[in-house]
Amino acid sequence: MAATSATTATAKATAGTAAGPRRRRGRLGVQNAAGWLFSTPFLVLFATFMAFPILATLAMSFTDFGLRDVTDPFSAEFIGFENYTKLSEDEKFLKALFNTGYFVVVGVPLTVGAGLFAAVLLNSGVARMRTFFRVGFYAPVVTSIVAVAVVWRFVLDPGEGLIAGIAAEAGLTAPDFLGSEALAMPSLIVMAVWRNLGTAMVLFLAGLQAIPADVREAARIDGAGAWQEFRRITVPLLRPTMLYVSVMTSIAFLNVFEEPFVMTNGGPDDSTLTVSLDMYREGFNFFHMGYASAMAYVLFTVILAVTLLQLRLLKDKTR
Amino acid sequence: MQLIRRTVAVTVTAATAAGALLLSACGGDSGGQTAADEKQTLTVWGMGEEGKHLQELGEEFGKKYPNIDVKVTPVGWDVVHQKLVSAVAAGELPDMAQMGSTMVGEFTSLDALEPVDTKTFRKADFFPAAWAGNVTDGTAYGVPWYVDTRVLYYRTDLAAEAGVGKAPANWREQRALAAAYKDKAGTEWGTYHQPSGIGAWQTWLPFLYSAGGKLLDKDGEPALDSPESVRALSEYAHYYDKGLSTKSSPPGYDVVKDFASGKAPMFVSGPWMVNNIQDQHPGLKGKWKAAPLPADKTSTSFVGGSSLVTFADSGHKAAAKKFTEYLTSPAEQADWYGMARSLPAVEAAWDEPELTRAEGLDVFEKQLRTSEPVPALSKWEEFAAKIDEAVARVAQKGEDPAKTAAWLQKATESLVD
Repeated sequence: MAATSATTATAKATAGTAAGPRRRRGRLGVQNAAGWLFSTPFLVLFATFMAFPILATLAMSFTDFGLRDVTDPFSAEFIGFENYTKLSEDEKFLKALFNTGYFVVVGVPLTVGAGLFAAVLLNSGVARMRTFFRVGFYAPVVTSIVAVAVVWRFVLDPGEGLIAGIAAEAGLTAPDFLGSEALAMPSLIVMAVWRNLGTAMVLFLAGLQAIPADVREAARIDGAGAWQEFRRITVPLLRPTMLYVSVMTSIAFLNVFEEPFVMTNGGPDDSTLTVSLDMYREGFNFFHMGYASAMAYVLFTVILAVTLLQLRLLKDKTR
Repeated sequence: MQLIRRTVAVTVTAATAAGALLLSACGGDSGGQTAADEKQTLTVWGMGEEGKHLQELGEEFGKKYPNIDVKVTPVGWDVVHQKLVSAVAAGELPDMAQMGSTMVGEFTSLDALEPVDTKTFRKADFFPAAWAGNVTDGTAYGVPWYVDTRVLYYRTDLAAEAGVGKAPANWREQRALAAAYKDKAGTEWGTYHQPSGIGAWQTWLPFLYSAGGKLLDKDGEPALDSPESVRALSEYAHYYDKGLSTKSSPPGYDVVKDFASGKAPMFVSGPWMVNNIQDQHPGLKGKWKAAPLPADKTSTSFVGGSSLVTFADSGHKAAAKKFTEYLTSPAEQADWYGMARSLPAVEAAWDEPELTRAEGLDVFEKQLRTSEPVPALSKWEEFAAKIDEAVARVAQKGEDPAKTAAWLQKATESLVD
């Protein structure tokens, strides 16, 4: 396949040269114009709803844009990097940054691992009722966070909750999961893993099904056991999927907002305050828009760095 | 989908902020004024459940003034602040709104509110504290509509079981009752005081006021490191140090459930709780009471509630005034109590049969006379959030009250104008 298309490309290029440079440019010009024409609707929408807000936020992050400036935006004062210096000394924000890091460092490997495990299990002949389980694992992904919160609060409630009930049967006392500084974040991580592993699983399933059967067959004929097959065939061939899943999960987890917002509101004592939640409060409760914009850019920079790091770490090995 | 939705969420702050910029460029035409007797539509924003009842009142009003068509839009309490600010930015405000009394100061500072005509609405007709919350630099910007004040709710049946026959009259008795509930009646906690989270200041503020403290001193500077403030924080902390109140504060916590089960046999809250308890747990009838707040130096509660404001940009100010007049007439105030169980801000309304007949209201009326509002501050939301944090520090972290008071003082200094 690759060889054929390369040949065709060379042939076309040669033909182009033969017909003269002038004609080629003309044809490409028409193509270009058509291309621009067809992309215009997208470009207009992108410029209005993505590029402009993104740039406006960047500009705003260098101002003291606040409540008063809402009625007169140009009264906001330019204050240079003041918001950023203030952020570097803001204990609350640093704690939020730490909490977010904690959430990502623990949550992402768990989500990727659990997703991979579920996918391998549901793709193999071992599991019965595969469709049922696939739906089961995917259901949390499409369920509204509010419904999820109701269920999890019931599970975690120290008084009448599911876990408390089971513990009481066994003569134990369940801890106050969401009320304890040490346990609130792990509880949210478990919930987030449960909510997101379905997405990872579906992507891994697609990746698994793209592995040609003859490769597996060849390995088995060569005497590979199940573990060897997994390690030598499945994992290497799944690497591109793994890269995609971990990058997307990391981005999602760095932005974590809904879990702490509906379950703990950042508490107890800010132990579940994340960057997005802090940003939301600064922006919409207090209308410190300049400050919140600076937070958005710090978060953006962190996400960019983490993504580049992952691309480097995981991509090099695929070669 | 989950992943995508979250990625998009980052840009939300950005987009909305930018949207505010864009929108403020257009809109905001004030135009001429429509006279009260002309045909017109008056747009009003009501909050939460009250918005629905307000529509009914608007229809009643329409019978008296057929030329004015009142159109009420209910807005959820949780989004009202954000919506109002966006509307100010966009120049898309209604003519009138019901506004939480603590928010009036903020919108006054945005020049969004029309000053109150004090010839029509007289200060002397309202509870002094309710009126005071609407005043900035000597000018009133909102007319008090209904008031709420915090009182003590407690379980009489469990108190009897614990050997206590009357409501606690002071802090010492309040402590003793909480301990007795737990030790003698076997309840999980002795009381419920909100340990942290949005609005924790509402439970703590009566402690500060009763200790003789104030939020601001005479010069308008925070007075939160005063001995009274330290005393109020220490008193609050006592309930956590002794395990008499839960430290857990999940969003959406409903104290009524724990009150009914006996887990939290005592709490401090507003008049709406009377309805909530009666509706959700009719079986509790006769097993609980509302009492004035236990006193320290005084028994001083915090008064909140809602005001009626007219926006400066409205073209229907005359009609808005008529509607405000209607809503604050003693007869309508009493009607409103019948509808929503909200307490009238107009003192004369308390003599209407609707209220004199109602049981258990005397405690609120009594408490209202000694209640104080929060000062009208443009940065009240932030100010309140700092108090919430201070409450969390002493309640959940067990930090030293004096140290916390000093921190709170410093944290609020930049938030007064």
